[in-house]
Parts: sequence; C-alpha cells; structure tokens
Amino acid sequence: MKNYEKMIAKFEEKYPTIEVKYEVITQMFHENILASYGAGVAPDVFYVDTSWAPTFIEKGALYPVDELASPEFINQFYDFLLEPFRGKDGKLYGLPKDWSMLALFWNKKLFAEAGLTSPPDTWDELLEYAQIIADKTGKPGLAIYLGGFNRYVPVALGYGAPAPWFEKPGDEAWFDRPEVKETLIWYINLYREGKIARENEGKTPYVVQPADVGAGWLGDAFGKQEVAMVISGNWMIPFLADQFPDFKYGEDWDIAPVPKGPKARATMAYTVALGINAKTEHPEEAWKFVEFILGRDGQHELVVKMGHTLPSMKGLEESPDMWPQHKKTLSFKYDKVLVFLWGPKSGELEGKISDVMAAAMRGEISTDEVIPTVKEAVSAVLGG
Amino acid sequence: MFSPFFERASVREALGAFALISVAVIFNLTFGYFSAFFAVYLSFFEWDYIGPMKFVGLKNYELMLVDLFKGMSGASYFVSPFYTGLKNIILYTAIVVPIQTFLAIVLAALANQKIRGIQFFKVSYFLPATTCPVIISLIFIWLFMKKGFINYALGYVAPGFQPDWLNDRNYILLAMSIVAIWGTSGHFFVSFLAALQAIPRDIYEAAMLDGAGPIRRFFFITIPMLKPMITYVVVMGLIGALQMFDLAWVMAGTGGGPGGSGYTLAMDIYNEAFTKLRPGIAAAKSMFLFVIIFVTTYVYQKKYGGGIR
Repeated sequence: MKNYEKMIAKFEEKYPTIEVKYEVITQMFHENILASYGAGVAPDVFYVDTSWAPTFIEKGALYPVDELASPEFINQFYDFLLEPFRGKDGKLYGLPKDWSMLALFWNKKLFAEAGLTSPPDTWDELLEYAQIIADKTGKPGLAIYLGGFNRYVPVALGYGAPAPWFEKPGDEAWFDRPEVKETLIWYINLYREGKIARENEGKTPYVVQPADVGAGWLGDAFGKQEVAMVISGNWMIPFLADQFPDFKYGEDWDIAPVPKGPKARATMAYTVALGINAKTEHPEEAWKFVEFILGRDGQHELVVKMGHTLPSMKGLEESPDMWPQHKKTLSFKYDKVLVFLWGPKSGELEGKISDVMAAAMRGEISTDEVIPTVKEAVSAVLGG
Repeated sequence: MFSPFFERASVREALGAFALISVAVIFNLTFGYFSAFFAVYLSFFEWDYIGPMKFVGLKNYELMLVDLFKGMSGASYFVSPFYTGLKNIILYTAIVVPIQTFLAIVLAALANQKIRGIQFFKVSYFLPATTCPVIISLIFIWLFMKKGFINYALGYVAPGFQPDWLNDRNYILLAMSIVAIWGTSGHFFVSFLAALQAIPRDIYEAAMLDGAGPIRRFFFITIPMLKPMITYVVVMGLIGALQMFDLAWVMAGTGGGPGGSGYTLAMDIYNEAFTKLRPGIAAAKSMFLFVIIFVTTYVYQKKYGGGIR
C-alpha cells in the first residue's frame, strides 16, 4: 500500500494543518471497524463494502456525504455505483472508490490445443467448451467457487429472473421461480457432474474449484494455467501481470464478456466506498481527504495508473494511462450490470446461501433438497 | 542502628514488587475479569456496537434456547448452527480429552526411563506445544489432503482406506481431534513427567520384588499415583477442548466445513457477534458455554479430585 502513503504525503503537503493517521486492517475488516465503534475509537474515514453498506447506514454509523460534497462533485460518479450507498432517507452515505465487474478470462493456448478458436458466448457453450477442453487437453475447462451465490446470479438473470432482493419474510420466494430453480440446479451440477461424477468415472474433471488444482483462488488457478476459463473481476488483472509476467495478455490469454442466457447477458459489479464516521470530530477535514483521494487526480493516480480496477468517475477511462485489459472489460455490452447487494443483510445472506450451495455441490444434500433448504436458510436470516 | 536502613529498603522492595506485579494484575483485570463481567452484563442488552445499548432482560437467553430447540427438533444445520456447534464440540471433547491424557501419561512414562538420548525425545514431545495452533492447522491441512501424506501413509497401513479428511463430513471432526491430540499431549506430558519424578522409587522396587512386570507396574502403581495430576490435566483439557475455535476456524473454514460438521460453539459465538451483529446473544451463548464448562469440571473434580486437596 505504498501508493496510499504517497497520496497521503501529497495530501499533507497540500493541507499542512491536517494530519492523516494511516492504519491497515489486513483481515476481518468489518469486524474490526464494528469493534472500534463499540469501543468508541472508530476511524474518521474507512472503506465500506456494498454488502455492509445497508447495515452501517441503517445503524447511523456514516456521515451523509451530500452534506459535505457539492452536487457537481457527486455528479461526476457513475449513478449505479452510488445507489448502494444511498439510505432510505435518500441521503448519500459514501462515494465509491473504484469498481470491478465480472468477465470471462480464457486461456488462448489451451483453447487452441482443444481446437477451439473463440470464447463461449452462452452458458450452454461455456459448459460444452469446458468438456471439450477437459477431454482434449487433460486440463479442467472451468474453475468456479464452491458456493459463491453472487457468481451464480448472472446465470439466473440471463434466463430471465429479476435481480434477487431479500428484505422481509416471504422474499425467499425468489427461489421458487422456475428459471431460478432450473439455473441454480444447473450451476450446482457444474460441480456435481463436472467434478465428482467425472472423477468417479475415472475421467479428467471439466469443472473444478481452485483448491482441486492446488490454487488459492480463481486468479491463481488461471495464472498457473491449471484451468482454461474462470469468471472473475478486474482485480485479477494486476494480479496476473504481477504474479505471472510470462503469461501474456493478448497472446496467451484474453478477456470476453460473461456468457449470456436466452433472455439477457448480465454481469455483477463490485464496489467499495470511502465512508466518513458519523461521530467524527473533524467532518470537514475528513471530507477534504475523501475528496482528494476520490477526486479526478486521486483516482488517476491510485486506480488508473496502478491498473488495479476501474475508476468510479465518468470519463477517467478515456485516460491514455488506462490498462488495455481494463478498457476491454468496459467495452462489453450487457443488458444488466448488477451491483452486489441483496438487501439489508447482504453479507449474512451471501454466506448462508453460499453454504447451502457448497453443501449441494459437494453432494451432501440432494438437488431436490437445494431449493427448500436455501429458502429455509434465507427465511431464518430475514425472520430475525 | 540498622532499622532505618532496613525500613527504607523494605519499603523500596515492596514498591518494586508491586510495580512488577501490577503489570500482570492490570492485564488480568482488564482482559480477564473486566471482559468476563462485561460479557455477563452484555447478555442482558440488545446492542449493535454503534447505537446505545438497550436493556432487554432475559430475551437474549430466550432467543438462544429457541435456537437450541430448533436444532433438537431436527432443523438443518443451516438454520440451527448453535445446536450443531454444541453437538460437535461435545463429541470432539469426548474424543480428545481421554486420548490426549492417556497419551501424555504414556509419553511421560517413556521419557522417565534412563535411556540414552532421552533429552531429544523430551524436546520432540514438547515441541508441538510451543507452536502456534493456526500454523499447526495449516500444516495439517496439507497432510490431510485427499492425496496428502496421511493418506499416502495409510495406503501402506490400511490399503483402500483413503478418506477425504477435510471435505467429508464424517471425518473432519476426527481430523481436527487428531491435530488437537498431537498438539496438546506434549504440553500435558511435562506435567506428568514432573509428577512421575515425585513418585518414590521404593514403591516400584517393592513391586518388582513381588514380581510385578512393567505393564502391571504402570497400571497399578504409576496411574494411581498420578491421580491428582490426571484430575488437573483432564480439567484443563476439558476447558480447552470445549472452547476450541482456532483449529475449526482454519481447518473447517468460517462456515464450519462440510455439512457444518467442523462447526463449534465458540465459532457460533463469534458469528453471532460479528456476522449477525448480535453481541448480546453472543454473550448469552458464551454464558451457556461457561455453564457447561463449569458444571463438567465441577462434577469431575467432585468425583475424582479428592487427591488434590
């Protein structure tokens, strides 16, 4: 995080009367922030993930930034990235630092070896290509996470399901929709059939999870070239450039849009805001810092030049410093870009639904039990 | 003539002593007693860390019991993790405590022999106790993998027996137990070694004259003479096992692993406090865990702890 320190030094140079104390929380971020609130020593400025934003907003932990920022400043951000940080009172409680969206990463060499020339365009093709690659190259075609509800949602949207939203008891009925039932089982079967059943037949699995190929996460599995395809976000791009410099974008691997369903092509977007503590003694100073980091120059320095993710301000993607890989992800046309947020208890819901999906993928519960169990788990979260 | 000097010295000595002791006392008061009493207090309040605390009487305990009954009446793990955690931790304790205690005694008895290089064995038995449990768990994750070392070794001992330790719900708790036994036996071994060296040698000599072999001497002299130490070790083992968190967190993962079969009560307390943001209920659940630990250790001491007093 050297870059942050550099930006802080610049900030302190510009505003000599404001001193910034920089602390890094490497693990259990939100737990740490909550505990610091409990102890009354919460930081003035901190990251807020979309999935935690409703909790923090509802509990009055965040300062309404539209009371500090000018409308002109706020208007520079993409609207859909602001939505998750808007409270029920219509006020804005955080501004997005940057964002990422899912795309399909494919290994050109393994595709060529399997006799394939272009990436899959539909979900059915994704499965078909994964099988061809496994049969022809002896390497699994696709890696997914066990569980990972947010990675499944683009499939449901592609088959015509509305965006999931769970706020009050009864909202778990989303899982009763025929297109949801069908696609959720399809997604679970990717692993049940692609890994477990295939191995029982003594064949190369065509779908794996990163741990099955000795990798820590999807980016790692893809970079090590143990799998031919993963669907992951922009954060994977600097990781590949940094960890696998010999595995070259354009020559060895490329990016394609997330596959489409019969009804739509959808992807997920992820963002994180810089929020200001509602109880801060220095709202003006905190705001100056947020403005400095998130402003045009700040984002150009921290996001665009570093190639980390996508800038959250409109127009910055035109910068010549923008990495071509990131630019390419922005060029894809989607019918729906859904920001990761399932309702006021997003974090807990994502965990619970993913636990049920993982259990089904491992074969601990049958496919018939998936829908009733997932509904039961979601309603337990919503009911209290 | 000397008295003023002595008086001054003793005052200074006392001040020095208090200054040194106070560090430990202050730490113990803040992180031990204050936290414990605050948890009792918290269990009667509804709180979200950010807003003010609201007194709710016994509501947190009621919600906890509802959770428990839901599980007892057959709800799935996804709905009643508290019950799953309780069930798992009791099973885990039942496996770990007897074996780790027995193994520690056996190791101590072996290390108490006069053989060459015994110092090496003593050090190697104790080494696991000095290593951080999280690191131990990480190493064992590698050993327990489907194609890891443990299954490789099992291939020679029990051909055909190749469980997927960490991903099979029937084995993960066992895998965690094995790691715990491996990690803690060495720790308790030291206690037993000290106790063994305090047993008068003439008892053994008398038994040998009466024709008792090593096995009989072990079961009829060593074990009975170690009784007070066994009580101590079992009590400490029970307390440690019932609170187990770190091994499960690393080996089974935050969700409790396959089918929640690696989930523990302490993990549920954590999740209640930091995932569901209900620290009041988390505190109530930790009171429940405290009662279990207190009752088990009290009953055990009452029954077998006669030798200690």
